[in-house]
Amino acid sequence: MFSTLVDFYAAQALHRQKVTWRRNVFLGISLSANLGLLFAFKYLVLFLPSVDPMIANIYTVDHPFLGFLLQGVYFSIPVGISFYTFQTLSYTLDVYHNRIEPEKHLGHFALFVSFFPQLVAGPIERFSRLMPQLKAKHVVSYKRFQQAFRLMLYGFFIKMCIADNLSPLVDAVYDNPSTFTQWSTWFGTFAFGLQIYTDFAGYSLIAQGAALCLGISLMDNFKTPYFSTSIGEFWNRWHISLSTWFRDYVYVPLGGNRVSLLRWVVNILAVFIISGFWHGANYTFLIWGAIHGMLYLVERLINANKRLPQTRFVLLAGGVAIFICVNIAWLFFRIDSLQQVPRHVNALFQTEGVQNLTLSLPIITMLVTFLIAEILTYNSRFDRLLDRYPTVLRWIVYAGLIWCIAAWAGVTNHPFIYFQF
Amino acid sequence: MSQEIKHIISKGLIRLISIAVIVLGFNQIYTSYFLNTDLDNHGPMLLELSHIVDTCDVIYFGESSNFTTHPDDYNTLRISDNIAAKHPNKSFGTINHGAYHVGMFLPLVKQLAMSKPSRTIIVTMNLRTFNQDVIFGPSEANLRLASRFYEPSLPILNKIFASLNHYDNRSGHERDLLKWKAWTYDTLVSHEDSVDFKYNTIRRWCEVPKFLDSAGIQDDAKRQLADQYIKAYAFQIDDSNPMIQEFDELLQVAQQKNIRVVFNLIPENIQDARYYIGENLVWLMQSNRDFLVERYANLGATVVDNLELLPSKHFLDRAVIPQEHYDAKGRELVGLKVADML
Repeated sequence: MFSTLVDFYAAQALHRQKVTWRRNVFLGISLSANLGLLFAFKYLVLFLPSVDPMIANIYTVDHPFLGFLLQGVYFSIPVGISFYTFQTLSYTLDVYHNRIEPEKHLGHFALFVSFFPQLVAGPIERFSRLMPQLKAKHVVSYKRFQQAFRLMLYGFFIKMCIADNLSPLVDAVYDNPSTFTQWSTWFGTFAFGLQIYTDFAGYSLIAQGAALCLGISLMDNFKTPYFSTSIGEFWNRWHISLSTWFRDYVYVPLGGNRVSLLRWVVNILAVFIISGFWHGANYTFLIWGAIHGMLYLVERLINANKRLPQTRFVLLAGGVAIFICVNIAWLFFRIDSLQQVPRHVNALFQTEGVQNLTLSLPIITMLVTFLIAEILTYNSRFDRLLDRYPTVLRWIVYAGLIWCIAAWAGVTNHPFIYFQF
Repeated sequence: MSQEIKHIISKGLIRLISIAVIVLGFNQIYTSYFLNTDLDNHGPMLLELSHIVDTCDVIYFGESSNFTTHPDDYNTLRISDNIAAKHPNKSFGTINHGAYHVGMFLPLVKQLAMSKPSRTIIVTMNLRTFNQDVIFGPSEANLRLASRFYEPSLPILNKIFASLNHYDNRSGHERDLLKWKAWTYDTLVSHEDSVDFKYNTIRRWCEVPKFLDSAGIQDDAKRQLADQYIKAYAFQIDDSNPMIQEFDELLQVAQQKNIRVVFNLIPENIQDARYYIGENLVWLMQSNRDFLVERYANLGATVVDNLELLPSKHFLDRAVIPQEHYDAKGRELVGLKVADML
């Protein structure tokens, strides 16, 4: 509510001002309020005494102020703060740059900030795209419900059947990598890449489906990113709403590519490192962002000097290389502290572990099904793909997915990974 | 009503019915080929119950107190075996699993068929499971997942609900917070003159220095064990306790099925509670016991009060933690007392 009120009134106030410094003041108020809250809840922990979160409650009795901070940091973090903060930031910045008119109705603006399907984990929508839809008169349509349920069905399938079944395997390997055989450690490491993709893409599809039931079309957040043949393409296909946000509100204002080479390199690295930092107050996320930044730079510099022929072999090799690099980079995303890196890397190259990961037949079947679905949706979306199929085939697909969700879904409790951000 | 809405309702209904039929068909396949694997992994007690449900006159629902043994034990008989030995004319079955409590027993009792009208169930009642440490314990989410599989509904629906985490699946983080709140703010009250809670919350009670020698140096091992006793038993049961609500429901379900219920209130280490903490804690344990015995006797159950049955020497983990793990003699004494009340 605080974010909503501050941004609503700050945007109106800055829009009324003609003098630049006054506009800057209101923009500053909005940015400080939003980024201040984000900092307080996500990054203050870096500067507070390192205590067990269990103790935080005790501090409320003996040291009220410190207790308040600790309790806030550990137990009261608003759901989806990283997502709605970026959404409202883009609104204020768009008003500031006169790209949009400020919203005059507080209720409509509050709905834009807190639209429930995408509040918790995105997609991060732009005002210019979402608000006209929220205000439009909606007519109930069978076709829309059909699309919505297809999206949700596939979203539930990849979250509950792929991500939730891989999760215990990944957890086991990351908890004790040295106890596993080399094959299992490599599999567990790469499986996290698949887990986080299906977990997050699954959520996004469910959110899109839920919004579509209400007549709202949310943007696509993922487009088969692991089939990318370059790191640039990967970021055009992975968490699209966040990567385009960083492009429009960080990279371009920094000068984009219309600057000197050195400055451009700094800009690229800054965008990727901030993107890593957005995920949380941990050096591991910074390194993850930096790795992607470096990969992007290397790729662009290679292409700038000598453009490779776009043969199938080159594309395939690029795809494999990107897949391997991205999945190894996920290691830094998944671990809790840098101390775990040597332990995990050692396990990848040692042969002493004896424990083997076992994949049951249902899991293998679902992984193959998922791979086929990914290939078929390379240039499409699941709901649109099904439009091309005859009714009988569609129902076979529905039944197959319902079976997987009902009988083979993972049961251990694994909340959506991106809920923590 | 517009044409489109009529269109949606008619087509939607057909599709909903089709999906329901598909799910019912899938339930048959799931039950035949996959259910046992899921039960093995997540809810093994239902399989055990299915093996004994049609043949046993008496079913004992227990946890680790029933079976934990020590290398020095002169036998490995469980409490339930000791009861059964006293009633050779009755067929006995045992359902037990470490850390289980009434939350897991309740859906199992719901699954009991009514085919045996003279059936008796003996349900373990562990005083410690009424405390916040257990209610908000780290293993609770997994136990509740198991109990989801025990619910008496279509197996495939149980699986779907389990996959959707439709059970008490609060995270360790949330449970820690709730536990700390309870330990910090739940106050202990006594209306008796002989009992005065100078330290009226678990947190304050634990903060008090204990076992200091003449030089003011603390015996850390004893201090830690003393604090464990406070966390285990410094609480007061009332109607709002979630375990009470589940015991109430279990009794109600059993009575509807004409099943006799015997609650076995298992022994706690009163002797050590008195040594490490003192009379105030013992008073809390006894008053909680009185509450349980009176409540469930009035509701028609047989409550076997074993709370103070065993001296400290029968508790296997007495040097480490307050825990209801008894030696062979202890298990025998408990079994005999329950057998007498059958």
